[in-house]
Amino acid sequence: MEIEIQLTDQPIAENFLPPTQLGAVGAWLEFRGVVRGEENGRIIRALEYEAYPEMAGREIRRLLQDISARHPCRAAKVIHRVGIIPAGETAIYVGVASPHRGEALALLAEFMDRLKQDVPIWKRHALPTNIVGDDVRSLTLSAKKPETPHVVSYKSLDEALLEIRTHCQPLPAVRTPLAESFGRVLRETVCAPEDLPPVDRSMRDGYAIRADDAPEIFSVVDTIHAADWKPRQLKSGEAMRVATGSALPCGGLWVVMQEHVERDGDKLRVVRRENSTNVRLRGEEVRQGQPLVSAGTKLNAGALAILATVGNVNPLVSPRLRILHFTTGDEIVTPDQTPKPGQIRDSNSILIRSLLQNFPCDVEQDHLPEDFEAAKSEIANRKSQIENADVLLVSGGASVGETDFTRALLEQLGFGIVFSQVSVRPGRPLIFGVNGGASVLRSSTATEGGSVPVPHCGIGSLAPPNKVRVAFGLPGNPLAHFVCFHFAVATALAGLTGGEPPEFLRGQLDEKLDDKPCPRETLWPARWEWNDATLRLHLLAWASSGDITCLATANALVRVPANQGSIEKFAGVDFLPVMSMIGGG
Amino acid sequence: MRVLFFAQLKDATGCNAVELAAASPLNTAQLWTELLQRFPALAAHRPNVRLARNWEYAAPDAIFADNDEVALIPPVSGG
Repeated sequence: MEIEIQLTDQPIAENFLPPTQLGAVGAWLEFRGVVRGEENGRIIRALEYEAYPEMAGREIRRLLQDISARHPCRAAKVIHRVGIIPAGETAIYVGVASPHRGEALALLAEFMDRLKQDVPIWKRHALPTNIVGDDVRSLTLSAKKPETPHVVSYKSLDEALLEIRTHCQPLPAVRTPLAESFGRVLRETVCAPEDLPPVDRSMRDGYAIRADDAPEIFSVVDTIHAADWKPRQLKSGEAMRVATGSALPCGGLWVVMQEHVERDGDKLRVVRRENSTNVRLRGEEVRQGQPLVSAGTKLNAGALAILATVGNVNPLVSPRLRILHFTTGDEIVTPDQTPKPGQIRDSNSILIRSLLQNFPCDVEQDHLPEDFEAAKSEIANRKSQIENADVLLVSGGASVGETDFTRALLEQLGFGIVFSQVSVRPGRPLIFGVNGGASVLRSSTATEGGSVPVPHCGIGSLAPPNKVRVAFGLPGNPLAHFVCFHFAVATALAGLTGGEPPEFLRGQLDEKLDDKPCPRETLWPARWEWNDATLRLHLLAWASSGDITCLATANALVRVPANQGSIEKFAGVDFLPVMSMIGGG
Repeated sequence: MRVLFFAQLKDATGCNAVELAAASPLNTAQLWTELLQRFPALAAHRPNVRLARNWEYAAPDAIFADNDEVALIPPVSGG
């Protein structure tokens, strides 16, 4: 594979010629990432990019080599611009040449995802809005720093999501029977093993004749039923009786509908010929080698039907996740009990269990005592259960110091804490821990060169080498649970299975949001519905993260930017759809 | 050894690189101890920082020797 990598402080050219003389290249795919002129309602004139050039180049090369082992690629060209880049201009250019378009598309998608996780390049400052036009140009030339830069906080929601994605790399894939694959993430692109249909087929009940045959009178030499396969070169003047779906005996035929002939014994007179050949040509639906279902697809009913069609009965898919969920807090009683004063019923267990239905997984749930020593001995008794879980979820109690308790518990279990607060409401005291670590996984997935050292498992002692496990400490209130599951836990599960992370969509507020500016971003429970052809979002009332009445109707979480305050009626906003269990999530 | 800082870590340390004179090779924990002694403000960033050694991400058990180029990589955001 030819690889060209550039880091430049100059604008990236408008056009590049596709590579020539690469032989079996059927797809040349180009992508440009441009500086968005607006982020969270804030106008952006330019962004400043910074790179660690020596390492960035190596990482880009390593990613391309790693990904091309799965998605063949003949040539790749990557140019990343650094320094100050005005809005609308290209920050990154990627061009890839592959034998087929499916490979090029898959390679590009994975490359961009992993670039944003691993390649040491940073967006630093957004220029203030009073620097416009030519000023931006002169800044570019002089490389002068803006005087009052806005430094992006790294504990934001986006940064938290980036951390989760970085640490939650796909678990090893397994071959699984079709009947157990619903909702799993396909981990290799499935291509057509042969042309579909494999031979020319008749689309009508009628008579097959040679397409180049002129006479009106034919002799019927044979009959082909739907399941027959009778290869034979038809001669001029010969016809064969065929049914809809019949495999035609050879190529280059024409099917005359039975309504357009007169038959007398073996003799056939064609009274009318249509323009259509009434033949579905070999490979008309799918060509051999054409990608049918791409790696990373969450297998739904339709995708499984395609796999069955091509005989892929044991697809390579994500493993069934093993999830262990502990509730904590002595004030919790099971839902069938009547709470005494000071006690509350546990709603988090069923909430988590239900949300997890969106992912093929085995869930075990249990309760831990609030006394730390007692909790410690409890988990010591469950060592193997905890070791076997891919994901550990701990619901905090509502008691004082729940964050410290959960954090200490996760550290006791050998998890390194990646973050313990996210600038979001509700759900700020969200804890994310990793046992193993991103570097462990990277080395196990590296394929060529072998230059990446194989490390021992980093933190703690419970996990076997190379097995990465992640943990979340979820703030105790049900609404916070609900929000944290949707943006954080779902992102982790998508990462571990190799699927698409939850995606923010755009909709329109159906009424004005009247709120005081909050220094944190808000994920506001809402209900979306179609209004004419517009997706309208209706915000639901909630007062605190303990407020759960809105959960029964919420089907969206609207993202309100930090320090936003009010938003006008009909303004466009980002939202995260609530999981519905349709199609396995 | 030379230690490089990027992005917000430049703000935290007030510089983009520093020379650490280590008597003997350092493991990850020792390296952090050295760094935090010199730049206490790095403590807040530590959970989010990955270490690189000679232009590759370092394994948790990496050893950093005197002639190594070390870099502190905060969460990246290219593209």
